[in-house]
Amino acid sequence: MRTPFNYFAPETLSDAHELLEKHGERAEILAGGTDLLVDIRNDMKQPDAVIDIKNIEELNGVEFDSDDGLIINAAATCTEVSSHTVVRDRYPFIVEATSELASHQVRNRATVVGNICNASPCADAARPLLCLDASVEISSLQNKRTLPLEEFITGVKQNDLAPGELVERVRVPVEMADARGANRKLKRIKGHDLSLASVTMVKTDAETRVSIGACGPTPVVLTGFDASTDVDELCSAAEEAISPIDDVRSTAEYRNFMIKQYIRELDEELS
Amino acid sequence: MREDTPQEELNYVGKGTERVDTTEKLTGKAKYTGDLRMPGMLHAAVKRSPHARAKINNIDTSDAEAIPGVHAVVTGKEFDYKLGLYLVDKDVLARERVRHHGEAVAAVAAESPGLAEQAVKKIDVDYEVEEPVLDALEAIEDDDKLVHPELDDYDYFEPAFSPQPGTNVANHTKIRKGDVEQGFEEADHVIEREYTNPNVQHVPMETHVAVASWKEQDELDVHTSCQSPFTVRNLLCVAFDLPHTNVHVEVPYVGGGFGGKAGIGVEPLAACLSKKANGRPVKLEASREEEFSLLPCRSGLTYRIKSGVTEDGDLVAQKMTMFWDSGAYADYAVNVTRASAYSASGPYEIPNAHVDAYTIYTNKPYGTAYRGFGHVEFSWGLERHMDLLAETIDMDPLEFRKQNALKPGSITITGEKIVENTGNVTKCMEVAAEAINYGELTPEEKKRQEETGMKIAKSVSALHKAPAMPSFTATAAELRMNEDGSINADLSLTEYGQGTYTALTQIIAEELGFPPERINLSIKGDTDKAPYDWQTVASKGLLMSGNACIKAARDLLEKAYQDASEVLRADPCDLDHNENEIYIKHHPEESVTFSELAVGYAYPTGEGIGGPIIGVGRYMAQGLTNLDKETGQGEPALDWTYGSHGVVVEVNEITGEFNILKVASAFDVGKAINPANIRGQVIGGLIQGLGTTICEGYAYDDEGHLLNPSFTDNKIPTSMDVPEEIEGIVIETPQIDGPYGARGVGEHPMIALCGAIGNAIYYAAGADLTHMPIRSEDVWWALHKDEDRDRPRYSIC
Repeated sequence: MRTPFNYFAPETLSDAHELLEKHGERAEILAGGTDLLVDIRNDMKQPDAVIDIKNIEELNGVEFDSDDGLIINAAATCTEVSSHTVVRDRYPFIVEATSELASHQVRNRATVVGNICNASPCADAARPLLCLDASVEISSLQNKRTLPLEEFITGVKQNDLAPGELVERVRVPVEMADARGANRKLKRIKGHDLSLASVTMVKTDAETRVSIGACGPTPVVLTGFDASTDVDELCSAAEEAISPIDDVRSTAEYRNFMIKQYIRELDEELS
Repeated sequence: MREDTPQEELNYVGKGTERVDTTEKLTGKAKYTGDLRMPGMLHAAVKRSPHARAKINNIDTSDAEAIPGVHAVVTGKEFDYKLGLYLVDKDVLARERVRHHGEAVAAVAAESPGLAEQAVKKIDVDYEVEEPVLDALEAIEDDDKLVHPELDDYDYFEPAFSPQPGTNVANHTKIRKGDVEQGFEEADHVIEREYTNPNVQHVPMETHVAVASWKEQDELDVHTSCQSPFTVRNLLCVAFDLPHTNVHVEVPYVGGGFGGKAGIGVEPLAACLSKKANGRPVKLEASREEEFSLLPCRSGLTYRIKSGVTEDGDLVAQKMTMFWDSGAYADYAVNVTRASAYSASGPYEIPNAHVDAYTIYTNKPYGTAYRGFGHVEFSWGLERHMDLLAETIDMDPLEFRKQNALKPGSITITGEKIVENTGNVTKCMEVAAEAINYGELTPEEKKRQEETGMKIAKSVSALHKAPAMPSFTATAAELRMNEDGSINADLSLTEYGQGTYTALTQIIAEELGFPPERINLSIKGDTDKAPYDWQTVASKGLLMSGNACIKAARDLLEKAYQDASEVLRADPCDLDHNENEIYIKHHPEESVTFSELAVGYAYPTGEGIGGPIIGVGRYMAQGLTNLDKETGQGEPALDWTYGSHGVVVEVNEITGEFNILKVASAFDVGKAINPANIRGQVIGGLIQGLGTTICEGYAYDDEGHLLNPSFTDNKIPTSMDVPEEIEGIVIETPQIDGPYGARGVGEHPMIALCGAIGNAIYYAAGADLTHMPIRSEDVWWALHKDEDRDRPRYSIC
């Protein structure tokens, strides 16, 4: 810990809202803390108030019903999500993606919603949720609003939350349950690593959706392709949509190449 | 010291005895330096340079000093001396200029780690940033932009090293054998190529940490996580001009070193802070990020090899040029340079050899010892090159290696004659090749190829290494018998994970004829209490300390026999002993127990004889000499441990992704004192070698900033990256001066694995790689080389 901060652990949503309202931009929300605490340690963030939401009952757990679809609450860990029976049965590619996220220890702590709020271009949980047309439920002391996930992630480590707001949950519409889907993630080692380039493909009888990570300021999703779309067309659309860079992890050229390679592999696997 | 005792007559040596530190480590009872808490202890933090090269105009520490709870702030101005073992070139804190990104420029001791960090932030350093020297091959040519303009004034170990003042060359080692130009003329083909390696971090599980207390009357107590307590003590005494009696270094359990803790590290700074804080103990514990750039790494290497071969497969001449990028300081890198120079040709006989090895200063984090001591790095180029040569003359690379391997009668490049007992590298290659079914694909492998679409290929590499140490390296051991006949033993070889203490316990037990449970070899190092050892490095511990232990055990028995001969009224030559007693051979019922003798024998009348039974043994490396500075001829090697890796890899020709399916490695260890321990070293070394091969390395930007100073982007292998199958094979050609014929194998498993994997990838997919590490992306780029694309800018380089 580099800079001292005040730690709050409210037990109700309204207490959390009030704390957020009070501290405004100087507040940070703590769920798993696996990104926040690293940022604080590295002086990337210097909050006055850290508001832990794990004690708020309604923000915990994973739920599913045939009307509302899949609900991943803000404090649900990656491990909880990937071990949930319905997620395993009906959204196995979410399990696959969240099981490749970080290490075992981190997944026991890190939350899926936190992964999305952190808004890294390589956020592993974002890809399947983008393909599933997930929406983000946001609230503050005065307000409630819902936003498509695609609009929620606005840039590198940027999200649409205003001071005073928190994400209560992510909702996946029921229509996409039982879709076929799979992931590919390019890493430097076989053990845990950030994604250098990654793809999720989801297919229903009507549609093919593709989301791509680590190849632009935000993960991107390609929609509007019917199920019979030729893979070359998907590859061209992907190349059009992404803007990979050279950095210490990989190069634009290899990322571009591997994205298309993965799309071909996934298309074959899911057809 | 070899005993030609058949294995069936050995009771403890040769057995896979459980490690002596197992329970303490598994239960958490083992205490490390980081666990230490002392009354009044302060915590240190270090201000590090954000620049690779800059003049320091001013350091303002007033705001830091004003913080309540801050007890000491120090800057380089306060130290007018440098530190070093071989080349005294390093300041405790940067003075006048910084020479690498991450270098320490100031330090603070405060009542908590957080407070110390806050204070460090308040220190204001005014830098004048300069363009850094980053490329070793440019630095060697550039006499205008010197990293150490004062090189001429530095002290150094003159018999072994040759600094070149007025240049960036900290050392130039030459080896000359035969006539290399003549040799090239005799060759049918002359092939030249260059191979490169980046800086690599050791990554011990426990980072560098020391607690120092500068007490009244200039008594300095240091607890530290280091490999070599006596080196730390000596360098502290030299730097601070203190008598050796005043400095006391203790080493508790150590969580890994791999060479990074071979010399001196954070100890002097902790000591200075303690002195300034009026003697309060100061703990300085490096963060993981600090391990990457405040503390040393492995030097980078560019290795240029020019070889002459005949159509018949004879390697007739080789010119080898090593450009070691030592970074900002070269104290230890000069010795890596020297050791790699005299080994540069690998375990092959070269009639006409010519080596120029340079240690070159640049403005990068500085290099030090690292498991393998240069051999991992040069083996990458050398083993790739051997296959290139074999391909040129259309010969099987294993046959080519065997034809040119060192064997009894061969002369090394420093003029040493290889004998039967040096070891058998050909046998190592043969068994490694056999273990991977070299030269063919098994039906399972063929099936796997069809199923995966990946291409499987195999390769065999070979290696050698001798301990790199001063010719007059010595050690000692002391055994003391307790009242119950058990033994407390002390020596100053540090157990930092390699398992030597278990092997030494077995050796002492074997010599004494006592069960190992009765031997307590104190793991804690203590320069006030235990006898001297030079350092715990170089894979020399088992041979050197093993011999010292044998001598100490014999000395102890001799003293016990002396006392027993008086008690039993018999000449010692008529005595023998078992676990519990010394008896007369021809009247076994007449005996005296060790317990009765241990601290002095008392007759029934009360009169006493003898006294505490203590055995002392010391051992000096035998027959080593300095190398001639112009020709490199001489005897540098205590022993040569040979080895070989056979690897099986599969490669995806489209994406460059690859898997290592099997590694079978054979080492001629002379005698396996503890086979289980060797297996541990082989697996650990292979995985570390795999890290070097597949993912590790520093990346810099154009200003010399380290871009990957943490595990986020400086990857190391995980359990998921371990090859599907690892087979360790022991060959036993006894070392005549080794304990029970044994020689060291601590470093060897990680040497030459890189070359074997590089070669197998080449055979599988045609990716011709000359730079480490090999990530799937590197394979992909190599496969697309023809398209003339530039490599990525921020790659590991």
